[in-house]
Amino acid sequence: MSNGKIVAGFLAPHPPHLVYGENPPQNEARSQGGWEQLRWAYERARASLERLKPDVLLVHSPHWMTQLGHHFLGVPTLKGKSVDPIFPNLFRYNFALDVDVELAEACCSEARSRGLVSKMMRNPDFRVDYGTITTLHMIRPQWDIPVVGISANNSPYYLSTKEGLEEMAVLGDATRAAIERTGRRAVLLASNTLCHWHFHEEPEIPEDMSREHPQSYAGYQWDMRIIELFRKGRTKEVFSLLPQFIDEAFAEVKSGALTWMFAAMGYPEIPGQLHGYGTVIGTGNAVMEWDLSAPAAPVAAAA
Amino acid sequence: MPLVAALLVPGSPLPYLRPDNPPWKPIAEAYRAAATALQAARPDVLLVYSTQWIAVLDQLWQSRARVTGLHVDENWYEFGNLPFDLAIDTEVTASCIESTASIGVRSKGVDYDGFPIDTGTIVANGSLNADGRARLVIAANNVYHDWTRTSQLAAIAATTAERYGRRYAVVGVGGLSGTIFRTEIDLAQDRIAGDENDALNRGLLARLQQADVAGLAEFCADYAKRTRADMGMKHLAWILGGLGDRYRGADVLGYGPTYGAGAAIVQFRL
Repeated sequence: MSNGKIVAGFLAPHPPHLVYGENPPQNEARSQGGWEQLRWAYERARASLERLKPDVLLVHSPHWMTQLGHHFLGVPTLKGKSVDPIFPNLFRYNFALDVDVELAEACCSEARSRGLVSKMMRNPDFRVDYGTITTLHMIRPQWDIPVVGISANNSPYYLSTKEGLEEMAVLGDATRAAIERTGRRAVLLASNTLCHWHFHEEPEIPEDMSREHPQSYAGYQWDMRIIELFRKGRTKEVFSLLPQFIDEAFAEVKSGALTWMFAAMGYPEIPGQLHGYGTVIGTGNAVMEWDLSAPAAPVAAAA
Repeated sequence: MPLVAALLVPGSPLPYLRPDNPPWKPIAEAYRAAATALQAARPDVLLVYSTQWIAVLDQLWQSRARVTGLHVDENWYEFGNLPFDLAIDTEVTASCIESTASIGVRSKGVDYDGFPIDTGTIVANGSLNADGRARLVIAANNVYHDWTRTSQLAAIAATTAERYGRRYAVVGVGGLSGTIFRTEIDLAQDRIAGDENDALNRGLLARLQQADVAGLAEFCADYAKRTRADMGMKHLAWILGGLGDRYRGADVLGYGPTYGAGAAIVQFRL
């Protein structure tokens, strides 16, 4: 099989609060709602995904942080209960997911051939991290599309942001090659928050939205700047600003998912569609889509 | 004397899951020696702080009376699973949670089935307290807490254990130098990554043996920067806080590498 392609990429952040606010049957914790604007943003993203009809979802999560190389889920079916170590009061989710092992192996192999240390995770008792699960639930709660789960190697933190993100770009290149080689119709999910400054105490009622707002005005301004550039299709400019954005907004994109996704997509200079933005314990979260299957829209039209 | 033991131990699962690998044997054997010493000290409760239980909101304490499950390390999953069965001293824990307000810290108990107990806590408990004879008080590592705050939290835990009449041991779980190998190595050839890291680790262990409490915080700040030390050595701050910054000396029961990072087992003389 060949001629696979990436049909779209989504910036798909993973605050567990969004699952908690939705009250799906898989999650033990119950809420009175909350974070509606972000949850409605995901509803729009779900509709897009339905239209795109991918064979596979690939997700890069900062909450599976690995020290030695880049790891890929490599067990056909994984299930269990994922409890968020930071917000166990909100997220205790019974998950079951199917892995596209063939594609994961191809990604791993392509990454190795490009000089990245890469490993397949073959332990059937492995507990999938809450970042991966939250992003996947929010984008596709039916869990009927196989996935490839990719760890976030700690290189941007252990080495330098520049060196680390260069590795993520190589990983993205490897991912694209694997998708093309295996003939998959793939959607990429970058599981990242933007500004990551957050409050240090949780409200007594977590979903009390009267307590929810950006933790940092400067961080909010950075988020709007980045989103606006993305909306105008000025991708190169975003990536030239990314190191400064990461430093000044403590942006979670440092962990590499956004760079991985855009490198895989070839850094398209097309307008991203903002499905919605909102804060979670003060952090900035945008749900955005880059539809590579659509006819190229003139960049100026979105400006 | 209610304080009966204090130990610095590593949280890496490698010597625990592969104790026969030659470079990891010193740590595996030292863990056995520490377990024997701890058993002789007959603690009712272990006051445990592991660098690998990360918190960012509030100070978390494990408050579920019995915590059982099977953990798989997110990095070293190929070496096997980590079953655990922890008994928590809920009475002391509840009192710790109430008491931290006195230092301006809001604490919360964690009482959830399936909560992901960290690798370090499981390794330490499984090595030192395999029969579950001692109950545990387990405090999270809030990444925004510094050396002083961590020391204060340990002091509160120790005071509380003492108030409840417990014989207690203070256990700090974490590594030394944090520089690891970034490529695959022959595990049988594992070693400390870099001579400077090795020298600095040995310098730290010498200071611990000399009981140079006054200089340790300052030394560790510099040591942490130069060696990528595990969480700034806050697990050592926990031990010193639990000891009330007083001990007579220390014995290094073992020292060795864990994929390039430094690990040691240190028994403090009270």
